[in-house]
Amino acid sequence: MAQKKQSGNNYVFTAGMALVITLGMTAWVIIIILFKGLNFFWPGDLVLVDMENGDTYLGEVWDEKVSGNLEEDELQLKIGNRDLYGLDFIWLNERDIARKNYLENAVTLEREEYGNFYGFISSIHMGDTVYQNNLADFFDRAQEAHDVALSKAEQIREIQNELVELTQPSAEIQREIALVGISLEANTPVASKKVELLQKKLSEKEEAIAPQLASFNSTLEKLVVEDRNMFLEVADASGKIKKIALSSIVRFYQPNEMGVIRKSVHYIEKIWEFVADNPRESNTEGGVFPAIFGTVLMVLLMSIAVVPIGVMAAIYLNEYAPQGMVVRFIRLSVNNLAGVPSIVFGVFGLGFFVYVVGGSIDQLFFGDTLPEPTFGTGGILWASLTLALLTLPVVVVATEEGLLAVPRANKEGALALGATKWQMIRNVVLPNAMPGILTGLILAISRGAGEVAPLMITGVVKLAPSLALDWSFPFLHLDRKFMHLGFHIYDVGFQSPNVEAAKPMVYSTALLLIVIVVMLNLFAIYVRNNLRKKFKTATF
Amino acid sequence: MNAENKTSFRKKVKNTDKKVRWLITIGGYTIIVNIVAIMLFLLYQSLPLSLGATIEKWFSVPSSNNAAKVLVTGIDPYLEVFYEIDAQGDVRYYSTVSKKKIGENKIALNGAEQFLSGAKGSLQKEIFTLGSDSGRIVTGLITMAATYSSQGRSISPSLEIIEDWQVPATNDSIPNHIEKISLSQNEDESRVWAWQDHSGDVQLRIYDADMDEEYNYNLSSDLKGENVTALTLSANAENLVVAGQTGRVYWFDLSDFEDITLKDEFQATSLVSSINYLLGDQAIVLGGTDGSVSTWFPVRTPANLFKFRKVHTFTAHAFPVINIFVSGRNRNFLTIDKKGNAKLHYSTTGQTQIEFRPADFPILSGTFAPKSNAIIVIDAQNKFGLFKLENPHPETDLTSLFTPVWYEGYPDAEFVWQSTGGSDEFEPKLSLIPLIFGTFKGTLFAMIFSIPLALLAAIYVSRFAPPNLARQIKPTVEIMAALPSVVIGFLAGLYFSPFFEKYLMVIILFVLVLPLIFLSIMYLLQRIPDNWKSKLPPGVEILFSIPIGLITLLIAIVFAPAFEKLFFEGNFQQWLYHVLHITYETRNSLVVGFALGFAVIPIIFTVSEDALTNVPESLTSASLALGASPWQTVRRVVLPAASGGIFAAIMLGLGRAVGETMIVLMATGNTPILDLNPFNGFRAMSACIAVEIPEAPVGGTLYRVLFLTGLLLFIFTFILNTLSSLVGDRLRKKYARF
Repeated sequence: MAQKKQSGNNYVFTAGMALVITLGMTAWVIIIILFKGLNFFWPGDLVLVDMENGDTYLGEVWDEKVSGNLEEDELQLKIGNRDLYGLDFIWLNERDIARKNYLENAVTLEREEYGNFYGFISSIHMGDTVYQNNLADFFDRAQEAHDVALSKAEQIREIQNELVELTQPSAEIQREIALVGISLEANTPVASKKVELLQKKLSEKEEAIAPQLASFNSTLEKLVVEDRNMFLEVADASGKIKKIALSSIVRFYQPNEMGVIRKSVHYIEKIWEFVADNPRESNTEGGVFPAIFGTVLMVLLMSIAVVPIGVMAAIYLNEYAPQGMVVRFIRLSVNNLAGVPSIVFGVFGLGFFVYVVGGSIDQLFFGDTLPEPTFGTGGILWASLTLALLTLPVVVVATEEGLLAVPRANKEGALALGATKWQMIRNVVLPNAMPGILTGLILAISRGAGEVAPLMITGVVKLAPSLALDWSFPFLHLDRKFMHLGFHIYDVGFQSPNVEAAKPMVYSTALLLIVIVVMLNLFAIYVRNNLRKKFKTATF
Repeated sequence: MNAENKTSFRKKVKNTDKKVRWLITIGGYTIIVNIVAIMLFLLYQSLPLSLGATIEKWFSVPSSNNAAKVLVTGIDPYLEVFYEIDAQGDVRYYSTVSKKKIGENKIALNGAEQFLSGAKGSLQKEIFTLGSDSGRIVTGLITMAATYSSQGRSISPSLEIIEDWQVPATNDSIPNHIEKISLSQNEDESRVWAWQDHSGDVQLRIYDADMDEEYNYNLSSDLKGENVTALTLSANAENLVVAGQTGRVYWFDLSDFEDITLKDEFQATSLVSSINYLLGDQAIVLGGTDGSVSTWFPVRTPANLFKFRKVHTFTAHAFPVINIFVSGRNRNFLTIDKKGNAKLHYSTTGQTQIEFRPADFPILSGTFAPKSNAIIVIDAQNKFGLFKLENPHPETDLTSLFTPVWYEGYPDAEFVWQSTGGSDEFEPKLSLIPLIFGTFKGTLFAMIFSIPLALLAAIYVSRFAPPNLARQIKPTVEIMAALPSVVIGFLAGLYFSPFFEKYLMVIILFVLVLPLIFLSIMYLLQRIPDNWKSKLPPGVEILFSIPIGLITLLIAIVFAPAFEKLFFEGNFQQWLYHVLHITYETRNSLVVGFALGFAVIPIIFTVSEDALTNVPESLTSASLALGASPWQTVRRVVLPAASGGIFAAIMLGLGRAVGETMIVLMATGNTPILDLNPFNGFRAMSACIAVEIPEAPVGGTLYRVLFLTGLLLFIFTFILNTLSSLVGDRLRKKYARF
């Protein structure tokens, strides 16, 4: 018996258990995010709940409290209709519920504003034509009307854009006039002359565009009236009627009547919307396209900055540096740089890049717009550079690994043939170390994509008015602020006014971020393993 | 190719080689430059915190008035125009550029009437009041209007008389002499005057701007006939403090204009020669006839009353203190004694920052500039002295950052982090201790959770797991390491914290029951004959632990309600509150420990697993050959041999936990408290930086303190990393000879 105790099998089991717990936790986290993140896009059935006291509610079942005792069970409904009720969610006591019905004609309307509306369509108004809901193909007609309304809305947007373009020059002149008015030389003869000249130019411009302007305005007016007359009359669970403009509806559907296939199509549509569309309702609905775009662009800029320096540093350590104090010191620096908390990089980025470097650039090149900062405030350039510093050790370490894997014989062979050191590095070492460099790059990207703390103080915002890359000169706007998936998670999950309604969005964004990061990592692992294999066979 | 071409080609190649060598060397050194630059920059940004105040004589110029006593002075925010008001009612404006008089106004006097006393009524506006020897109280406002033209800014001062009021005559037919006066105008433009007349009575007049009503009070009965030596009103017009000749100080509450009450009276530690309210309307400065300077403010007593307590004593003067000027920007104040010696103090820190001598004669009047960047005084010889003051970070010094400070309104000296308030009147509380404590609290819980799990798992994977399994686990753990901390943080904040709150009993029970179940199953397993066991494939232990876990979970779920009823009165949270007086916060340190531990586990696991795997085969084989069991080999041979790597792993994990930002930001309530209780939150240094630095004014005290926090984090992690490298290397070498 004593001997058995000595054998310590118990400890082995304990150790195994620790591993199981660790893996179990990872699985738990991944499963939660997968489940909650993917669930969001599935159209939920609408239940009509009749209460004992005569109240009725229509909504999606969101959560249930099951205590084992039927008397205490509770049901959480998402009842939407924020503009009518103020609250999106309601808890109902199971024992107060008289009936639950799943009516086929219950409709979910996804709107541009105020979130979802749950109810029943009672009539469609298309100008003077009105369809009542006793028609057989009523719902199809509603969809048709919606398509018409959306195309009209698109037309309105186009005309508005053209109007803006048309009036752009005269608006600029007006701005100049205003600027003269508040300048130091206001009220001087020089100024009034200037104003006179500008006024003349302005009236000429206005005259030139007048006919076009008038025609645009009349078309616009007509369209707006038409748009206003296209609406749905919808009734909520209690029968209260509300008018909803068709053009303000993103999409609508009858989930209870949809089969699995139609739901799946809808599901894919929603995922596409999530990935490719702009956010709505202060980021709690719609898509995350700007955040994806910002993340990718930032990571690319970061790579451009970090890879050359990281590779150079690794080559120096491996090929050039005399072994001794310097190398030890650099290695210690690499280790320490890897251990510096990301927020410290953020503080450095804010203090140094934004205020010192950016502030100086503003003073030198953008003096006329001061005190409005151009580069002296957070922006995509500074965020990328900060992350470049942060990911430098990742690139150095991975590249070194790649460099070490290059067989000595290959290098010596090149040197023996009379190559200079640089020729040897360029033609023998670098091509063979490419997988290592690639691994470093991928790991750096993965780290950069997931990092938030330093970004939130160097240029990430909750809602960027425009992308940092667009068709207006100079195309790449390094001074602009940008959106980022990681920050999106933090912001929507913790800073939005309606956290409960925003939660599904956060899970989906988290899932997207994890998918990106994990894919990158798996790719890096794959590249690295292949690298090992390749050189195992390449020895002479 | 001819020879010349060949050499030129060779030259070119060599040249490139040289250039590239240079470039790459620079690239290599960039790493060192980076880390040194980060440290130096953080240091450079936080060092100004330790710079004290500097005061520098700007200029002095005689007043063009040479007879009358000056009662009020002031200067505009741009330091371009200053003024004086004398006993004859003459208001004179001077330019700081030409140092000449640029204009004057006159306050009309009746015959031989003279003003005896004067005071300013606001720290922001140039509102003043004058009391004459015939019982007149004149209140006026000097406006420094700034106009901009192409020549630049010009300030044109003007005087406006707001009120000219006659104190009703008393019975004794002597005209009222207003000997001491104080004025306060609050934000609603209500005004309060308090003065002492020749008979020693203290009177109070209130103009309520909201109701457009006036109130008059005579406070002599409350003062028990004491002769008054000094009086002052607070800037919000809600408090009046009067010092009597016996050193007794009376505090009147004026917040209800219709009902003035004596709220507290106390004996000062010396006879009071001057008194003034500091910015924030809480603390008063007492200047003694013995030259002592002290600040006092009301502190809540156990009986829920407010009593004045002496908080700081400053370096004393050698002569009676006759002037106290207070800053309108911060807790700075200047005391001047009878011989014209001045000292600049800061109330929060209790420090006397500077001593200087503005004049050789007693000072009649003076003031801080509106932006507190200058001080103006006028002496008994009617000579102005202007001083430029630079005092960027008076709120912080080493002691206030790292030792308890007694803040206004607090019962005692405490460590408090409360960096921003609604207005300038707020006293910033910048103690780093709660933040450092928070960081280490989070780290502690994370390490308690992660070290055992990560190390045991690493031991298992490196020594006992079948090779196939081990090969697959490493990438899995790497994926775990790659999970962005923002995702873990958000799960902790939005999923795990409500989950923990809901199933706390189940979790506690699970942790308690697991070892019991585990041991009993182990006992049963040992009953199984050895020859059976040898038939089991290796790695089967893992398969066993899954049912053990499930059984424990089931037991925990089933018995949790009964357990809670038995030991915790049916509700654990309420029990905590009633019995231990602990409030259970949803986002608490347990959740953080779990989430942060989750982030740290892969680091500790990977590094220590490497170290354990790299222990030479010869050592383990020798141990096994001598008859040691696998576990004995691990404990006595492998663990000591890999201790360097394990130490390095723990240090790296610590470094990560100390610096992690998003998890602590999202999973705690971010309340800066000093409490090791696992059921409430904390505010970590990293999260504090992330939350506060975007709002901190660049170059301000908070900004620099946050840089200092960053520097501290940098130093912590630098030490941990360097330790990890050095100790790891040394221990590795020690065992490498086997």
